[in-house]
Amino acid sequence: MAVKSKSPVSKLVLAGLVIIAVFPIFWVFLNSFKQLVDIVSTTPKFFFTPTLDNYIYVLGRENVQHGLINSIVIAGSSVLIGAALGIPAAYAVARYPNRFSDDIQFFVLSLRFLPPVAVAIPLIATWLDLGLYDTKTALIITYTLLTMSTIIWLSIPAFSRVPREIEEAAIVDGYGPYAVFFKVALPVAAKSLIGAVIFSFILVWNEFLIALMLTTSDAKTLPIIASEFTLLGRNVPWGILNASVIVLSLPPLIFVGVMSGFINSALKKKD
Amino acid sequence: MKRKTSLPAVFLIPPLIVLAILAFVPTIAAVNIALQNRELSFPNSSYVWLANFIDLFGDRRFINAIWISLIWEVVTVTATMLVAVLLAIFLFERASPRMRRLISILFIIPVMLPRVSAAFVWKFMFNPLFGLINYPIKLLTGAPIDFLSLPATALASVAVVDVWQWGLFFSVIILKLLETLPPQPFEAARLDNAKTWEVHFYIGIPMLAAPLISLVFVKMVESLRAFDLIYVMTRGGPGIATETLDMYAFSQGFVEAGKISYASSMAVLMMLATIIAFTILWKWVRKWQ
Repeated sequence: MAVKSKSPVSKLVLAGLVIIAVFPIFWVFLNSFKQLVDIVSTTPKFFFTPTLDNYIYVLGRENVQHGLINSIVIAGSSVLIGAALGIPAAYAVARYPNRFSDDIQFFVLSLRFLPPVAVAIPLIATWLDLGLYDTKTALIITYTLLTMSTIIWLSIPAFSRVPREIEEAAIVDGYGPYAVFFKVALPVAAKSLIGAVIFSFILVWNEFLIALMLTTSDAKTLPIIASEFTLLGRNVPWGILNASVIVLSLPPLIFVGVMSGFINSALKKKD
Repeated sequence: MKRKTSLPAVFLIPPLIVLAILAFVPTIAAVNIALQNRELSFPNSSYVWLANFIDLFGDRRFINAIWISLIWEVVTVTATMLVAVLLAIFLFERASPRMRRLISILFIIPVMLPRVSAAFVWKFMFNPLFGLINYPIKLLTGAPIDFLSLPATALASVAVVDVWQWGLFFSVIILKLLETLPPQPFEAARLDNAKTWEVHFYIGIPMLAAPLISLVFVKMVESLRAFDLIYVMTRGGPGIATETLDMYAFSQGFVEAGKISYASSMAVLMMLATIIAFTILWKWVRKWQ
């Protein structure tokens, strides 16, 4: 029934919506290849001689390289720890319900209610007291709270969707409970689990406030470095700024397709 | 799978212990620090008990921040849901299946951007000198509008970015939900000559009440995380026109004074308020499902 009316007006509105959704990002992308004079022109320029200078400058900066490595190490480690602990926990909640299951699920979800600033402020003092302030270790541990709770929350439905019959058949074949998890449930649910893990990676990669408050120099992540560019004074190097925003945004955008598939499978018609 | 096995204990207890430590350490530390007079630049501190909390309620900037946060919460949640529902219905009615598949990829791009990037993208669009939004305004009126520096427009302009990210994303989710509904009630209503908006308003939306309420809940939680947008776009300004609670706590605890105890007492109040509010809401949401 949706196909019936495709008037030119609705096509126009559709095109407008798509422009609103992606054009601002595309504009920053274009600007990242412009010389400063082409960016600050009073009429927007769509045609110009492209340059790679902005990227060469951004990627050549020591603090950007440092931030990039920090972001990869911190996001990677906290996601790995979160997945190693969270995925088995989610399986236990999904397949071995007990009288605490509801409370466990609510506890995990309620961690998401905590305002990040309310977590970060006391942790400044805690990490200072422990001598770990402004270290990667402190950020990895702090982010594990985020990755683990997210992965548990998203993996419970992934395991619930695994048909019980497959697991029961494996038990009949003589598999123990651990073998059922590792050899049956894990591979069958793998696609959704990867979605959950990538989602938590994006959350941590994009995280700003906690990183801002828990780092001063050594452990700064890429969003902090990029925000420092954006807060430069009046004579802003706009081209460099645009390029740094693109560098920061690329890793999450790589996964757009994966996340779209994840949403699709989570909202699929049941039967 | 009714056999006795060690699996639930082995799989559950270590993660739960780790989570509990990670969650309770900052919570207990927040309360402990809030009861002292600790400042980042001084090593010594002593217990002042509730003095920080009493000071807070006489602090006009704090009261302002509560208001700004409440306005932000109400505006962004309402606008996001309105935009998402209307867009979803529009796409459902007017876009071909192929177009819908393309759009459901394009519309999740904004929400996947780091908020720092989203904030910059739009800060650039709003720029009075060469922002694209001001280009037509300059052509028409001769003078640009500095949206982010005017108290009247600053908060709304930042909210636009939030709705751009979440409204588009939620419209994709609601579109998928509409696609899963059985077509018969819709067809019956159309046979009775119901108008398109009537079909959706009286049939589609009520059938989706439970997931829509869950989405409202998710957005309420996410709207608390506005800090990145505000930090990059306005820094709480002009004046204190966009200073939310997290922005004010940040500037007290970190930037201006390093009054970490004072900031912690704000953190404690925010934790209490959100945990109480969301626990009650969550129990209510669960009843709907």
